[in-house]
Amino acid sequence: MNLIREIWQSIVRRDPLSTDKGKSELVFLNVWLHIHPAKVKKENLRFKHTFYLGFITFFLFLILLTTGIALMCYYRPYPPQAYQDMKDLQFVVFMGPFLRNMHRWAAHGMVVCVFLHMCRVFYTGSYKKPRQFNWVIGVLLLLLTLGLSFTGYLLPWDQLAYWAITVGTNIGSYAPLIGGQVREILLGGHSVGEGALLRFYVLHVAVLPSLIILLTIVHFWRVRKDGGLSQPVWKLKPQETESLVTIGAPTAVEALHVAPASTDKTYGLMEVVTGKPIFETVTPEEEEDTVFSYPYAFVREAVVLMATVTTIMMMSLFLNAPLEELANPAKTPNPAKAPWYFLGLQELVSHSALLGGVVAPALMVIALIAIPYLDRNPSRRPGDRKWMLWLFTFFVVVNLALIVVGTFFRGPGWALVPPWVHVAGGAE
Amino acid sequence: MERKLQQIFFALSLIALTLILAAAWQANTPSWKTYQKNFLQLEAQGEPNAVTKAAVLATPPQIHQVMLTGLQRVDRCTTCHLGVEDPTMKNAPEPFRYHAGLGPHIPSRFGCTICHGGQGLATDKDNAHGKVEFWQSPLLSQEYIRASCGRCHKEGDVPDVPELAEGRRLFETQGCRGCHKLNGVGGSIGPDLTEEGANHRSPEWLERHFLAPNAVSAGSAMPNFHFTRDQARDLTYYMLSLTNEEMGSYFSSMRSIPGPAYGRQLFIEKNCIACHAVGGVGAKIGPDLLGVTKRHSMEWLDEQLVNPELVYPGSSMPEYDLETNARKAIVAFLSAATPDDLRLIQSGKPRAQSVEEVAIEAGKQDFARFGCVGCHGTELQGGVANPNAQGGEVPSLLHVSDDYTKDEVIAIIRNGRVPPMDNAAGPPPPLYMPSWKHVLSDEDINRIADYLWSKQQQKKDSW
Repeated sequence: MNLIREIWQSIVRRDPLSTDKGKSELVFLNVWLHIHPAKVKKENLRFKHTFYLGFITFFLFLILLTTGIALMCYYRPYPPQAYQDMKDLQFVVFMGPFLRNMHRWAAHGMVVCVFLHMCRVFYTGSYKKPRQFNWVIGVLLLLLTLGLSFTGYLLPWDQLAYWAITVGTNIGSYAPLIGGQVREILLGGHSVGEGALLRFYVLHVAVLPSLIILLTIVHFWRVRKDGGLSQPVWKLKPQETESLVTIGAPTAVEALHVAPASTDKTYGLMEVVTGKPIFETVTPEEEEDTVFSYPYAFVREAVVLMATVTTIMMMSLFLNAPLEELANPAKTPNPAKAPWYFLGLQELVSHSALLGGVVAPALMVIALIAIPYLDRNPSRRPGDRKWMLWLFTFFVVVNLALIVVGTFFRGPGWALVPPWVHVAGGAE
Repeated sequence: MERKLQQIFFALSLIALTLILAAAWQANTPSWKTYQKNFLQLEAQGEPNAVTKAAVLATPPQIHQVMLTGLQRVDRCTTCHLGVEDPTMKNAPEPFRYHAGLGPHIPSRFGCTICHGGQGLATDKDNAHGKVEFWQSPLLSQEYIRASCGRCHKEGDVPDVPELAEGRRLFETQGCRGCHKLNGVGGSIGPDLTEEGANHRSPEWLERHFLAPNAVSAGSAMPNFHFTRDQARDLTYYMLSLTNEEMGSYFSSMRSIPGPAYGRQLFIEKNCIACHAVGGVGAKIGPDLLGVTKRHSMEWLDEQLVNPELVYPGSSMPEYDLETNARKAIVAFLSAATPDDLRLIQSGKPRAQSVEEVAIEAGKQDFARFGCVGCHGTELQGGVANPNAQGGEVPSLLHVSDDYTKDEVIAIIRNGRVPPMDNAAGPPPPLYMPSWKHVLSDEDINRIADYLWSKQQQKKDSW
């Protein structure tokens, strides 16, 4: 018995969870959990503050990693074997369809949730000082998510994949000077073929996942270092005069005190740097509002995790991921459509290739990245930033409207056809 | 609240577990396992004693597949159709029945889908029979199944499938190439037919289309050729056989079946009769071929046809560059050839022609082969409807030499022409003369012009 207890204690070297010390140690002695603070503000745990969209996105990414690695065991990235492997997954691999469905639906879900997460952060003004840079990382993560989804779209090597990527990469080639070359480097040729499939595969399973994992680590780290979750908007006081100080950054409010170093002592960093920490200072009254991460934060995260997993599984059991005919470069479907999240772009391109395919998306990305630096209004209260909220809402609605039009209202020849009208011979 | 959240967490975990189990159960109970179980029961019935019966019933379920690298397909049909190669299953119910009359085409070497269509990789009925969205070739009905012979046997006669050769003949003589490309040769007014058989068109559609193009495809520019029902069936067979698949060397070596009929055709084409005789009928320059297959081995004859000089140094027989099956076919023909055969061949042979006649005949053949007859008619009579063109139809070419000089006609053939319109404001006529200069050589065009002028000559003669 003693041996078992000894082994257990060698693994878990914390006090019992019934004590406050144990609850804190659970967090900061555990490499996986210590990204959390030991205590969190009660209000920040409220569902209506964050909708847990960041967590959902992260959990979807975990589902994608697991199912993706399993799928790699069955997939050869060259035509036409790639397509045959899809058919094998569908017909002979044990639980193959379930696996592929989970990967597919989680991928679409991740694109949606990343976008919704961005909207939440914008509407709560959480990109403002000191969190500007984490917003920038977030935008990069959005782009990487789109990149992962786009590269994965080609891999089944069916008509849907082939023509979506052909259209998608054509949009990119409208960029002046470099567009054609970028497309050629991406495709490994002038059209979507063997080279493109291999390159997209490498991007999809190695390059982009590595980048997205790296940036996710930075993103999470910055959430902690920028002072944890932002305060819910309903807790904001009308006049927020308290300014925050970044450690090491010169500030106009108060010069940073550096304690004189003694020559006969080794200093820890906390002994050298004084001044106000970056955290929203915890006063005794506020201390009342905090709870231990264990179990309050963890149980909520666990619920969100399981809700995400069950939703994706439920969808995968009943909805099959599409798989069309083998890719055929000689047979263009009419209309050929890009993946749904690029249909807004395709819609713009159909009006003007240069404006819609290059200028608009470039401006959009630049504007998104620049938001925290252009928005000089320090207040996060919705009442103080009405026109910013309207502007962003307008941006979101226009994007969604374009995607809806591109998805449902475009028929053969990119003609405006409502979805309830059947076009005879549309498939010809 | 915390307690409730924990309960929700456990409930969700249970649901997730249930879903995984449901997915596993779904994956573990495919319909093919039921078919295999039924088949084993059927097999066990025939076993005499309990021990072998139990052994049969204990066979573990497994997917059967035929890997056909030469046909670029994998057929898993035999996972359910377990008795196709077992003659004792002659009277078994489907899907277990024995497939009689396959000849050399045994499923373990040819699979099933090359003839039947369907989706070989699939392991459930709907998908395997290809009657689902996004699968190009559903199962061919019994009525049209013989058209599939033409997927490999692209040339010569196929025994029991006269439709294929007849359909091909119609295609080459009725001028289909005038509008349709096949294997890169032909016009571009109609759709390319190179892969028509792989295009997910139902045979019934094709057949109705040949009988009345406008009835199934409204506004089609294709004229009604007034084919008979049989001819429409022949053309449908031929269309279904056009799949342009890449095939391994064994399958592509079977383009023509090396039978005596094909051998006879080659014997005529290569003009063997100019030097050889059979039983004294024919020319005496080369040896008499009666009983030649008894005097020499197959290998010797084959070598002789490949390289006569190697077998008989100084032989005056030319090298004919025949493929393996063509050589086999000629040998097959010679093994049974009689003097009567040769007499028949001689009597069918046209009389010696002058150089001009040969050129005009070649022009006439080009006129048919490249599809001019499709619009201008097999006898140059024209008359195919072409709304809003002057006269409302494609012009007859019988009087062309009255209205044009030869150079003008050659220029029109080379560059094409859009017919003048009846009503300038109306829609352009659907048919027009395409430009032929990239398809036909100057020599071909000159020959066609000669052919047109020869008609004129005949007319004058008749005066």
